[in-house]
Parts: sequence; structure tokens; C-alpha cells
Amino acid sequence: MVQTDQPSYKEYAIEEFLVRDEPYYRVVGDELDLFTAAYHQHIPVLLKGPTGCGKTRFVEYMAWKLGRPLTVTKGDGTQELKEGEVRVPLVTIACHEDLTASDLVGRYLLDANGTRWIDGPMTRAVKNGAILYLDEVVEARKDTTVLIHPLTDHRRILPIEKTGSIVEADDRFLLCISYNPGYQSALKDLKHSTRQRFMSIEFDYPPRDIEAEIVARESGCSAEIADSLAKLGEKIRNLKEHGLQEGASTRLLIYAGKLISEGISIRRACQVAIVWTLTDEPELQRSIEEVVSSIFE
Amino acid sequence: MSTSPLAGIEVELAKLPPAVLEAYQEAVETIEAAFGEEELVLWAKEGLAIGTQTVRSWESAVEYYKVGPQVSRFLSFPSFMQWARCGTYLAQDSPTLAVAFFKASSSIVPNLRPQYIPRWAGLGRSLYKGTWKSSTLAAKFFEVSPDLVRNLPFWDVEVFASLIEAMSYKSYDVAGECLVLGRDVLPAMGREREAFLSMARALIDGSWREIKTCLELVPRALQLVDENQTGRFLKLGERLAKVGLRETSRFLADGTQSLSKIPAGSQGYILDLCETLLAVSPEAVPPFLKSLSGVLDRITISQLDSWFHRGMELLKDNPESGIAFFKVESNTSVAMLETLSSSLELDRVKGIIRLYCSALSGTSIDVLDTQELVRKNIGWVDEDSASTDGTKVFLPTIVDHYPDKQDNFSWFKVVSTHQVGHLEFGSFLFDFTKPSGLFDNRRFPREDEVNAGKQAAAEEEGVEPAQSLTDIGRFLSLFQDRQLAFDLFTVLEDCRLDYRIKVEYPGIRLAANRVQDEALANRPNIQEMGVQQALVELLIHMSLEQFTELPVPIEYKDAAVVLAQILHELRNAQAEVEDTAEATLRAYEIISRIANENPPEEDWEQEDLEEPGDFSEEEYESLIDQLQAGQDASGESGEGESRESPEPVDYRGDFKPEMVQLLTRLQSDQDQQGEGEPISQEMLEQLLQESSELELDAEQGDINDSMSAFAQNLMKEAGTPPPNSQPGQGYGPLLHDDDQGGELEAREPKTFAYDEWDFRANDYKPRWCIVKEKVVEEGDTTFYNDALKNYLSLSHHIKRQFELIMPESMKKIYRLIDGEDIDLNAALEAWADLRMNVPPDEKIYWHRNRNRRNVAVVFLLDMSASTAEAIDEGRQVVDDRDAPDDPVEYMVWLRRRREGLVRRNYKRIIDLEKESTALLIQALEAIGDTYGIYGFSGYGRENVEFYVIKDIDEGFGDKVKRRIDKVTPLHATRMGAAIRHSITKLEKIDATTKILFLISDGRPQDRGYSREGVEKEYAVHDTHMALLEAKRKDITPFCLTVDKSGHDYLKSMCGDMGYEVLGDIWALPERLPMLYRQLTT
Repeated sequence: MVQTDQPSYKEYAIEEFLVRDEPYYRVVGDELDLFTAAYHQHIPVLLKGPTGCGKTRFVEYMAWKLGRPLTVTKGDGTQELKEGEVRVPLVTIACHEDLTASDLVGRYLLDANGTRWIDGPMTRAVKNGAILYLDEVVEARKDTTVLIHPLTDHRRILPIEKTGSIVEADDRFLLCISYNPGYQSALKDLKHSTRQRFMSIEFDYPPRDIEAEIVARESGCSAEIADSLAKLGEKIRNLKEHGLQEGASTRLLIYAGKLISEGISIRRACQVAIVWTLTDEPELQRSIEEVVSSIFE
Repeated sequence: MSTSPLAGIEVELAKLPPAVLEAYQEAVETIEAAFGEEELVLWAKEGLAIGTQTVRSWESAVEYYKVGPQVSRFLSFPSFMQWARCGTYLAQDSPTLAVAFFKASSSIVPNLRPQYIPRWAGLGRSLYKGTWKSSTLAAKFFEVSPDLVRNLPFWDVEVFASLIEAMSYKSYDVAGECLVLGRDVLPAMGREREAFLSMARALIDGSWREIKTCLELVPRALQLVDENQTGRFLKLGERLAKVGLRETSRFLADGTQSLSKIPAGSQGYILDLCETLLAVSPEAVPPFLKSLSGVLDRITISQLDSWFHRGMELLKDNPESGIAFFKVESNTSVAMLETLSSSLELDRVKGIIRLYCSALSGTSIDVLDTQELVRKNIGWVDEDSASTDGTKVFLPTIVDHYPDKQDNFSWFKVVSTHQVGHLEFGSFLFDFTKPSGLFDNRRFPREDEVNAGKQAAAEEEGVEPAQSLTDIGRFLSLFQDRQLAFDLFTVLEDCRLDYRIKVEYPGIRLAANRVQDEALANRPNIQEMGVQQALVELLIHMSLEQFTELPVPIEYKDAAVVLAQILHELRNAQAEVEDTAEATLRAYEIISRIANENPPEEDWEQEDLEEPGDFSEEEYESLIDQLQAGQDASGESGEGESRESPEPVDYRGDFKPEMVQLLTRLQSDQDQQGEGEPISQEMLEQLLQESSELELDAEQGDINDSMSAFAQNLMKEAGTPPPNSQPGQGYGPLLHDDDQGGELEAREPKTFAYDEWDFRANDYKPRWCIVKEKVVEEGDTTFYNDALKNYLSLSHHIKRQFELIMPESMKKIYRLIDGEDIDLNAALEAWADLRMNVPPDEKIYWHRNRNRRNVAVVFLLDMSASTAEAIDEGRQVVDDRDAPDDPVEYMVWLRRRREGLVRRNYKRIIDLEKESTALLIQALEAIGDTYGIYGFSGYGRENVEFYVIKDIDEGFGDKVKRRIDKVTPLHATRMGAAIRHSITKLEKIDATTKILFLISDGRPQDRGYSREGVEKEYAVHDTHMALLEAKRKDITPFCLTVDKSGHDYLKSMCGDMGYEVLGDIWALPERLPMLYRQLTT
């Protein structure tokens, strides 16, 4: 719901961002237990899976879940810790081609008295014991791997070359990276020396019934429509080998569901949220639209 | 008093009005200077002669003297006098004419060869018939002739003049108007002028008034009609005019209008049609052309053919109705257009349906037309019914059930959804041993029973009982009347699917209901059938969702109710194919116990079976007992008429589960050899004979032959080599052989097999081409060195340009808001600013662009025979001042000159390709990209030659230089295979940017690749697909062609991929490196 009377943003320091409200996450397999175990055992985690299948949501959920092992009180949006809560901040960094090591570690900035060192998000996460989530890590430059390596083995240290210091990670620190094996070319694949520092959890789009549940919950559309949307998702994913680069993600299905809940006609919602987003090829568009028009009355 | 002749003339002149003498005196000096004294006298005398001829001829004399000086500059004296004499003759007839003649002379003489002057004067004279109007016309002719002569060859002027003369007999006014129009219009006609003039000539007799309109229309026609067709178009007009068509101008106008709406490529086809029509009935041509544009708004060019031929037939029978047809003023015509325009060809929606089916089924589905399936000869015979063989969906080629395209598409959708339903909802996954969820499993005890019986029979005969190869076969073999069982299975399974589809795909319900209702309307009358048949038909009706007002024989009402209950069980989203089997078993038990008698009309009753109640096994058993008792009482079963299989429901198509299971089984046998006993051909024939899915028209004697052909074809379809056929011998007489031979194998070293895309089949032909990689033999380095020398300045320029690219990518970029580290200079400045309380610049970082250039490129040179063509040296200005006047001599002169040119400067396309390559190598070496240069040619698919000039991982050296020398034009161009091999080369290289650069001189062509018609398309499509494959592998393809007509096919060959048509081939050496630079930076 959009409120216009007053701005409603909140600002936190990057390492202080806590997930306070329970994010909706529908557990499909044993990923929850696996992640918890990895967290306690300091094993970095690699999340694999296609776009929009819930990787990021899962990390958020875990940050929330790990923060409150005992109490189940609902968060009230403040950053104050309640009794029994553990501070597990979540630092998320979306990686891109120009992301350099200094973007992560920190750099000198000018101020009135000369230069001043500013910690980068990775350094802050390491110091504050956060879950550091590097999204789409293969997109980052190769020099970032230099930072990842010492952090992900038994040393758990972050050397900061420019200040000549080494930061030992807080006990609660966990590095978590995500990676979509589908569309990277061989050139952008993760190196094995990097890969083998992580345990991997594979994600995929959930089965139809669970996906329907998720779509219904997230978009607020009727169970019937959610079921049909999930069916649609399944059918579209069948086209992946036929010119479609990626199947329809759960996220797109939710978008469609949301538009439908807002009163947009079903076919139109599917067209704008799913068909046109997925492909520009007219024939493929038409085919998917035919599937839509078969599934929905 | 002077006795000089000149003085005498002057005296005589003075007797005429003073203007004459004035004009004479003004000119006299120039003429004397030009010719001399004697000639001057002759000139003056002639003027006097003109002036004294008639009362008013002094006016002519004035003009004569006036223009003399100007004319004298261009003519020798004899010609000059010839010209003057022409004027004199004209003045004799009419001074007005002579005045006009002289007036025009000054501007016409520079453009007219002297010997033509008398003919020109004659042309004007011929228009003069002694009347006032004719003299005006003739004068007008002289007036416009300078323009005519300047722009037209003289013989065209003559033809035009004679045309005007012919017109003048009809009307001087119109002729005059045409004369002026002609002056404006004719020059622009170019080479169509002749065609136009002869058309106009043809018009003279019948409808001369048309000529003027035609003159007005032609320029527009020439603009809008494809330039290659205008000649034919005008010729057509001429022929029409000759047969007496009155409204030629209308024809031109309508024709232009229609043709302009048609793509240039198809205009020739339309003119073909017109000519065909002309031969039969000329009157029909104009209406045809007139209605054409309207017709083409509704149907496509390819559909036009059938419409046209229908009209032709009518025309032959009855010209009146034929013409009405072409005017689209007959019902036949309108109805046909409606059908054509609403009908939907499978080809046009194949792609969409293919993806739709694949999406629904979750496996890769191919959509083919039913004819393909029939051609395979593996048991499917009906060309109009949709079907599926498990991996492909077969649909009819065209649908015209409805007057609306969208509806016809919906029909396709309903039908393909039904076919895919077989796959999606598991019709072919029938597993005999899997229990049914909705019924008790009666088939297991029944099998034991049947087997025991068979065992006993087999023991008696001393043979092994036959085993069924498929689960469906195993199930059907439980029944004595296998055909009845199969018919029931089909109805019930289709019923289950239709219901399931409507549940899963509510969106299709509306269209499906409509199709079902139509199918119902076409069902035969139940009451006219035997009871057995009627009950099967009843099931069909219910499967099509008619539950009310069903005629039921009163005696068997209970049976009908139980049948309805059984059917209703299957109308359930949970129903599986095994449930269908159990339902089949029960329906069979009931129906087989009823005699196929034909009850009289009064023994039928209308029943509503919408809610027959739940099925119960007890009720069923008591019904069976009751029927059994009835049957026992009446003696033998099957009394009455023999039962026939029901009419198929056409939208459901052919359902052949046994065949599909068999194919699947054969294929899996093929995949996992050694597991279990593979199916032999004998077993297959045995099965096929038992199968109820085959409808054989053949006589009993032939059946064995066709069985064995079926079996062989089936095995081939599944990929199993048939046992008794020799390789190369083909797989039996009934086979459809697509092209000569089949897959090829790359046996020799350095040969590679590649697939080829067949757009007609929408699929790859597997391992269709053999690419042979050869290294070009080495020649001399001179060619390479000479090329560089010839293009010295260009080569330096290119090299410099390329060297500039390098630092661009390695440079540190300073003064950025954010970057790798602080830029000290900028920081100090900022620092100083801060101290001075000035806001500092925030851009104090530097950043190194580490995207190192990492490019790999393959250049693919066309070495086809056509590259041996000499290049037309169009750039040289033709010096034709010494061109002879006579046209014949001129042609000879021209030919000689051209030959001389070629001898002097003979350069072939390939030479330029090679030179460009040399320049490019220079540039590439400067920049350090990974590159390979290859040539390709070959003949036939088993011989695609791929020449290595420089392999991609090979270093550059004299070897390469020497190879370039030996690159020569060879044979054909099978681009697809060459591109695919280049892709293989590029795939092995690790680079961020990969480029495939194709340089060609024309369309792809090769034996069996590019003959006229479809084949031409074939090559373009295959090349397109090969380029797409490159793109999918992250290789950027680029096509450069020097074929000026390249635009027409490159568009479809390259699609949205890059290409360029080089208009001026001489630009190649310069353009190639520049293009490459643009591509990679």
C-alpha cells in the first residue's frame, strides 16, 4: 500500500541492518537445516539456482531466523535487540562487472584534515559478524576472489592491503554467495578453487502445489488463480529448450498475481508481467499467450 | 553601282519589308567570317528566294537571316545550305511552318546530326495538310522538337512524330496536346519508351483518345511498378490494345494501382497470370487487375493461385461468368475469397503450435502436417486426421471450417491440445500391471483366464503362445473381438482426455465445446444402427457431452445406463489411462453380449443419461448375468448384422496407442542394446497383423508384402536398421526418400560432418554435409607484398587507426568520482581548494579499464566460381568523344573499347578479396587479435571444401603470405556447412569477443542446395540457421557482400544480425578493416 502523507523510509548503517519482520519463506526441502548447520560450523554457503526462485528471500529469512533462536516475538521495526535475540545483520551486495576489491574492502576518502579510511561493506560485515551475501558473485571482477579466499577457509581473516591490517572475522560472520549456473558463459564460471570453499544448496522453482501456495500468499490472489499461475509457470518452463533463455520465475508469477489482485484482467496481467518480460520474439510470445489463454478462462 | 551579286540581292531585299534587310545586315558579317565570300552570296540568295516565294514568306526570310549566324557555328557549309533549302521548301508550303522551323533551328542544330536535318524538316512537313490547324500542329512540332531531340534518340522522335501524325487525322487538338505531353513524359521513360510507343500505335485505330490519358499515366506507372516488369506491363497493354480493348488507360491506371501494392518480386507472377488470362479472354484482364488489389487485401499471393485458376475454369466454360468472377461480382468468387481468406495454413502457425505443444507436454514436440506421417507408411493412412506418434503432432495442412481466421486457429488449438493431451495425460504410458484407481481390477484375473485358454490351445498345437510386445497389445489381446475393444478404448480414452483438458485448460473450453457440438451434428443417426453399434455410438455421443434425448433401445435401457455410469467414472480429473482400460473391459463385456439386431422404431426411447448414478460393481455384475442369460437363451452370440466400427470423430484424429508404444519400445531397444530380447521383424509383422489400428485396403495377397514394408519402415522410424536390407539399397519400395542418400560419415582425417537445416521440415537433416579441411598450397609472397604496396597509404592509415584502439582499452582513466585509488594530482588540487574554502572537485579517483581486448575472429572468404568475374571498371569516366554516329558502328566501337579495357586492367572479385585480406592482416597483426582466415567452396554436400589460409591458432608468416597468392575461385558456395565449421573453430578459442566475418559475392548456392524455386530459399534458410547457431554460441556473425542485388536475400539470411552490401566493390579494401574495427570496439 502506498502512503503519501509522510515519507516512510528508514536508514541504517550497512552493518546494522537487521531483518526484523519475519520474511515469508516457504521451506521446500531441508535447506533450512543445512543453512543453520553451516552457520554454526562456519561453512560458507553457495546458493545455486535460476533467477527469481527465492535465493535472496531465503538468505533474508535465515538472517531473521538465526537472529532469534529462542523467542518468536514479532519484530516491531526497531533495531533494538530484545532479550534472547542475537544480532545477525544482513549485508547484501549485488555484484556487477565493475565491482572491485576496494569497493568491498574500503578506501581512503578526503576530509578536512587529509585522508580518512572508510571501511567497505565487506569489512564492516566481517567486523560486525553479519551474514555477507554476495549476489550473482560471478559478475564481480576477478580480484574480489582474492578477498573471498582467506575469508572462506579456516583462517576467516580479511587482509586489508591498503591499511596494512588484517581483520579476524567475528564469530557470527558467514559468507554466502549466490550464483545462477544457467546463463553465465564458460568465461564467467566460478573457478574451482573458489567453488570448493563453499557448501552448495541447490534451488529450483518449487513444485506446482508449493509454488501455488507461495504465489497465493505473496500476491494475495485467490488460490484458484494461484494454482493456474503455477501451472502456467510449469508449462512455460517447458519451453526453456525452445528459445526461452529462462523459465518464468516464481517472482514473475507473483507479479502477475499481484496485478490480478489489483483488478487487471488475467490475460493482460500475464501478458505484461510474464510474456513480454520473458521474450521479445513474436512467435514465442504468441505461443505463450496461447498457453495463457488455454489455462485461463 | 556595284555589280557584285551581293549588292543585287540587297537591292532585291530592300523591296521586301524593311525587317528583312535589317536581319540580313545584322547577320552578314558573321556568316562571311564563318564561310567566306562565295558562300555568303549563296546564303543571301537563298534568303531572297525564301522571302520572295509568297506574299507572307518575308517573315520566314527574317527568321532565316536571324538564326543564320547561330546555325552556322554548328554546320559545315554544305549541311548549312541543305538546312537552308529545307526551310525554303517549307516556306513554299507555309511561311508559318518555315518560321517555326527556323526558330527551332538554333537550339536543335547542336544536338542533331546534320544528316538528320532534312528528315527532321520532313517530319514537320508531314504534319502539314494545308489547313490552318495542321500548320499550327506542325509549327508546334518544330517548337517542341529541340527538347525531344535533346532527350530522345532520333528514331524515337520519328516514331513519335508518325504517331502524332496518325492522331492528327482524328483530332488536331488532341494531337497537339499529346505532342506537348510527349515532350515532358517520353524522356523519363528510358528503355520502356519503345514498349510504350508501340502500345500507343496499337491504340490509334480503336481508341486514339486513350493515348493522351496513357501519356499522363505512364510516368506514375513507371514509378510504382518494378522496373524489371514495366516493359512487360506495357507490352501487355499493347497486346490488349491490339485485340481491341477500349479502355487501355483504365487498364494502365488500375494495373499500376494493383501492381504497386505487390512486392516487386511477385509482380512478374501477376503479369504471368495476366498473360495466361489474355490468351483465353482479353476482356478479363482489366477486371482482374482492377480487383486484384482488393483481392490481395484479403488473401495472400500464394492463395491467389487457386482463386485465379477457379476463375480461369469459369472463363473457359462461360466468359460472362468468368469476367464476373474476376470482377468479384459473382457469388462463386466472393465465397471462394471468403474461404481462402479465412482458411489457415498450418505452415503459418506451425511455429506457434509447436511451442504451444512443447509447453503443454513438457517434451520437445514437433509439428508436422499429416501428409508427412502418411508418407512414412508406418500405419497411418488418413491425411485429414490429426494424430501423434509420441514425439510429433501431426495436423492437417489447412483448416477452413470457419469463415473467420481466429476460429480456424482455435480449431487448430483444440485439435493439437487433444493430441498433446495424449502425451500430457499419459495415454501412451498405459501399464498393464498398474492398478486402476477407480475400478476393481478385472483385467488381471481375466488375463489368467485367457492365458490358460491359450496355453491349452498352444499345447495342443505344440507351439509357444505369442507374447504381446506392448502393454496395450497385451490388454487388447484379452478380447475376442479385438476391434470392438479397441473402438471402445478409443472412445473412452478420448472422453477422459476431453474432460481432463477442459478441467486443466478452462480457457479452451469454449472452443472445444463448439468443436464438440459440430462433431455431434455430424454423427450418424443412432436409431438406424444395430444395437451393438448403437451402444458404441451412444458412448461417442456422451463423450461429446450429449447426455439428454439420447435414443436407447427399450430392451437394453439398463445396459445403456450402466454404460453411462462407466463413462461418467472417467469424467474425473483423477482418472488415468488404466481406468480407461478397466472401463473398456466392462463396456466390452456388456456390448459383446448383446446381439447386433436392428430394433424397429417403436422400440426406441429418448433417455436422459446426465445423472445415471454412481457405478457399482454389483449392479454391473447382475447386468452381465442377465445379458449372459439372455444370450444363452437365444443361442449363438453376435446374431444380427455384422458390427461396423464407428465413424471416427474427426477432431480427435487417429489414436494409435499400440503403434506409439511399439515405436517407443523399438527406440528404447535401440538405445539400450542387450537388455531383453530385441524385437525382430517377424515379431513386428506378427503384431501388425493382429493390430486393429491398421486399416488395410490391400487384397489379402498383398497384405504380407505391405506388412513387411510397414515393419521395415517402422524399424527405420525408430532408428533400428532393418535386418534384411543391404546398405545403400534403400529400405524397401514404399519408402519415401527425401533426398538422394542419407546421413554421411566423416571417415577421413580432417573431415567433419555437420547437420543442415531443412526449413521445409523445420528440422535438421542429421550429418548432412561433409566439410573437408585443406590447407591452401603455397605460392609466392609477391601478391601479398604488391597488395600492400598498391594500397600503401591506405594500409598506413588502417594500421594507424588500429593501433589507436589498443591504448584506449589499457589507459588509466583519471578524475573519476569513484575508482581504484586516489589520483594524487586531483587530490592535491582538491586539498588546496579545501584550504582556500573553495568547494573542491569531487573527482579525485582513477580507474584502470582492465577489459583487455580479447577478440578472436574468423574470416570466411567466398571462393566460389563467381568470384572469378572481372570487376566492371565503372569508376573510369568513359571518354566517348570519338564515338561514331551510326548506331551499329557505335555498338562495335563500344564493344571494342570494353574489350580493350578488360585487357588493360583485368581484376577479379577474388583479387580484391585477397588484397583486402592482406590489408586486414596488417591491421590485425598491429592490434594483436586472434584471427583465422579461411576460404570455402566445394560441390555437393559430401564435398564442402574448407581452405585454411591462416589457421586461428597459427602464427602469421611468409607461409600465410604465400598461401594468399594461391587463393583462386573454385566451385560452389555451401555457406551453412562452412559457417558451422568456423563455429567449431571459434568454439575452441577462449575469447571475450568472438566474431565470424563472412565475405561473399552472392547468394549461397550448391548442388542440391540452391536451385531455382524452393531450393534457393533452402540455401538462404540454412545459412540463416547457421548464423543463428553462431549467435547462440556468443559469436557475432557479420556478412559483407559485394553483390549489389544482395539486399533481397541478405535481409532474410541475416535477420537482425549485422550485414552490409557493398555497392562499390572497389571500396572493399578500405571498408573491410573499418567494419572490423567498428565490430570490435
